[in-house]
Amino acid sequence: MNFIKYLLLLSIWSLFVPNTSAQNCNLAIRGKVIHLENNEPIETGYIWIKEVERGEITDKDGNFTIKDLCPGSYTLQIQFLGHKEIKDSIVLSTNSFSKTYRMEEESLNLAGVEIHGHRDAVQTTTSVSALYGEALLAARGESLGESLKRIAGVTTFSTGNTISKPVIHGMHSNRIMILNNGIRLEGQQWGAEHAPEIDPFLADEITVIKGAETVRYGPEAMGGVILVNPAPLDTKKAQKTELNLIGGTNGRMGNLAVTHSGGSGKIKGLGYRLQGSTKRAGNVRAPDYYQGNTGMSELNFTGALGYSNNKLGIETYYSFFNTSIGILRDAHTGNLSDLTDIIQNGRPFTNSDFTYEIDNPKQVVSHHLAKVKSHYHLSDNWKLNAQYGFQLNLREEFDRRRGDLNNSPSLDLKLFTNTIDLYLDHTHKNEFSGTWGVNLIHQANSNVPGTGVTPLIPNYDMVNVGFYLMEKYSKGPIELEAGLRYDYRTIQTARFIQNELQESDLNYQNFSAFIGGLFQINPRISFSSNLGSAWRPPNVNELFSQGLHHGAAAVEIGDVDLNSEKSLKWVNELEYDHNNLHIELTGYANHINNYIYINPTGETVVSLRGTFNVYEYLQANAFFYGFDIAGSYQFTEKISAYTKGSIIRAKNTEENNYFPFIPSDRMDWGVAYDFGSNTDKTNTLTLSNMLVAKQRREPDFDIAAAPPGYSLFNLAYQKQIQIRDNKLNLGAQVQNLLNTSYKEYMNRFRYFTDDIGRNILLKINYQF
Amino acid sequence: MFKSRKNLVYVMAFAALAFTSCESDDPVIENDQEVITDVTLSFQELNAAGNPVGAVTTFKASDPQGIEVGTAPTIDNVTLTKGKTYSMKIDVRNSIENEDITKEIIEEADEHQFFFVGSAFVGSPVLTYQYADPSGELIGVEGKVTVSTSPGLNNATMRIVLRHDLDKNFPGATNPNFENFVQAGGESDLDIAFPLILN
Repeated sequence: MNFIKYLLLLSIWSLFVPNTSAQNCNLAIRGKVIHLENNEPIETGYIWIKEVERGEITDKDGNFTIKDLCPGSYTLQIQFLGHKEIKDSIVLSTNSFSKTYRMEEESLNLAGVEIHGHRDAVQTTTSVSALYGEALLAARGESLGESLKRIAGVTTFSTGNTISKPVIHGMHSNRIMILNNGIRLEGQQWGAEHAPEIDPFLADEITVIKGAETVRYGPEAMGGVILVNPAPLDTKKAQKTELNLIGGTNGRMGNLAVTHSGGSGKIKGLGYRLQGSTKRAGNVRAPDYYQGNTGMSELNFTGALGYSNNKLGIETYYSFFNTSIGILRDAHTGNLSDLTDIIQNGRPFTNSDFTYEIDNPKQVVSHHLAKVKSHYHLSDNWKLNAQYGFQLNLREEFDRRRGDLNNSPSLDLKLFTNTIDLYLDHTHKNEFSGTWGVNLIHQANSNVPGTGVTPLIPNYDMVNVGFYLMEKYSKGPIELEAGLRYDYRTIQTARFIQNELQESDLNYQNFSAFIGGLFQINPRISFSSNLGSAWRPPNVNELFSQGLHHGAAAVEIGDVDLNSEKSLKWVNELEYDHNNLHIELTGYANHINNYIYINPTGETVVSLRGTFNVYEYLQANAFFYGFDIAGSYQFTEKISAYTKGSIIRAKNTEENNYFPFIPSDRMDWGVAYDFGSNTDKTNTLTLSNMLVAKQRREPDFDIAAAPPGYSLFNLAYQKQIQIRDNKLNLGAQVQNLLNTSYKEYMNRFRYFTDDIGRNILLKINYQF
Repeated sequence: MFKSRKNLVYVMAFAALAFTSCESDDPVIENDQEVITDVTLSFQELNAAGNPVGAVTTFKASDPQGIEVGTAPTIDNVTLTKGKTYSMKIDVRNSIENEDITKEIIEEADEHQFFFVGSAFVGSPVLTYQYADPSGELIGVEGKVTVSTSPGLNNATMRIVLRHDLDKNFPGATNPNFENFVQAGGESDLDIAFPLILN
């Protein structure tokens, strides 16, 4: 009976199946088209198959699929403007075909063809997110830390609203790295109240790599790397100017930024850019009161001059950052009883009015960065790069002091850093490409005499040399990468402790490695996984702190015998992109050996000034893990919604307790309505809500309990107007729409004051 | 125009030059300017007419290393006689640098004020304090102390706090025994608890 049923089914089925010849005509040709010289994907590349007179266009990842092909011979023509056409003859038999094509630039003399910008590629097998275009426009006027909060998994560790340090997957300060146009930013980043000395206005794209990136970038890139990159220099005759004007009600803030870039008509390939920004703000207002002495001012400038042709390129770049930041008066306490009293008060004691004046306590910081970069194409496949960077960081911190001393800083540091990068990129017509390089950092830190205060950290000289190699295998929908690095670091310190000269000579070394893969499972889903090791030698403050941390009612004691931190991070990212739905899910686990943290000893020191808590720097094994989610859905042509969330768990696995200042769970979600009929020009109103949970995983000791969770509403409107050839972008934002009073666990000012109240911002951006 | 190999050499040469020129400075002994090592209380008995009589008694709180991580400060017990009135002077010194800080406090009278709290001054006070600075401003460098004839408390503590950068107009700041001095803003430069012994 069953047999007959089967025959019947088979015969019915065969009626429906078209009677093709014995061959199977649902084969496919899959491929990926990328730039030869840096592996960046080519979007809207064109693939044409002569035999079937069908073509496809590559997507934003460079992928294409041509389906429903019968076995046979085919000629593929791959074209992209400004690049040499690729012709490939292939034979399709029983299996589908997949290949990666690398397109080489054409040395054309056609007008309007831009010689490729020679931008360095970013590793693709780890979790990468970028802020550019519209999203960056919405973030203009904010500091780097504040801007990056728009990326899931990135939060801030702040000291008030004018000092924000980015936190990637729970890690900040010396555990992440910030690069200013390819140069590793070196300031006194060990300090909790030392914000990165960089102006986001210099960038047209800010990229966050959420993985252990020590192999490529060097030690301390443990939690991730932030790349702040300006646009590539023009290589043809052009003049572009961008003007940004921003005003904000909270702090009565004004911000002006101008960028002018162009290319020479006479010397083809010569381009320049001049950029500057200035910002001024007065006292920040919490919903019920002003935070006294929280004004700030900033003046920044960058300039670049570069030449590139198809054989070589050279770029010189200079970046200047200068800021004065007022510190909330009541945040600088004298002793433990002062601190306990103000924490109990929940708000500053001093009732302040609004003023732009910045008094002591305050910070005055200047940062100079100069870079020379050159690359030379040894051949079609080999490119040699050399980069030299010079940095000078000058940091002065002023306290309220007696008499004339009020004009002298309590902390006066001068930090010189030289970096040399020498690396060889190679790509081949086969699937391999890679980079081999050497990286040298030399640093000299000096305390400028005359402060009248025993220096917090010693004078030191440091040299770090690293050798690395990375190889990538790219075939169709699969990319595999691996890398290896060796670092050696030596540091010599000297200082006087109670009139006695103390010198030390320390060295550290480490091997780091990573392996990662990116799989384009189908046109909708891609998955990447990266397992990388990283290391971080202890900072000078962790090694050498000895004494009163002015303004924190704390005595900190360092440990010169601390070992380097060594970590292993496994990051996975799943991306789904189809029609109206886009989801990115990131999951990571990070184990750190010898994680250094500051711990209260439980002891106090009694002095004539009062009582102070004593803290010491300890090491323990730590385990961090978490998830980030970012998603968006287009409901109708006009209505869309988005959500971004992250959760982090961080535990001291030896003591089985939690570390201080780990971000709590949070989610930001919003709905946007597009007024515009013309989908090309933005005209969108967005209502969003930020939900932040109370941090329930508190360390065993904190001078104040974690504040309750909170919810903030934000409204944003963005409109783009075309004025002849020029673009005008108008934006209006209301942050903390309901003027909610709240305290954020990651803001060290939560001990003294509520966070910022309502802020209405108006933004004008004109590109001409 | 651009010699391809040469420009790389120039970059490296320039770099090598810059590398060698930057070196950290030799450290310099920094004279800690704001250290307070000695606080001396001087008491001179006053007779009924308010004239000084008898010898001056002094009591000291000192910490040779000042305000940094060191040993705990040595604090004398203050001995006074019941029923008597004294003129009290506070002397603040930095013995490491041989500096008289009292002078600076007087010079910046608008930013400094001593408060006298603790069980000796607050509650059912054993001691009553009045500001008596020559300039008329409320500083507390000079003052008048009256000891109660029948004090209710035996082991009282004189807690002397020097506030810097406070709001002198804050309601209550005119009271030398203002317990909530923290609310007037500023920070404590001194916070010493002297044990009080009464004869």
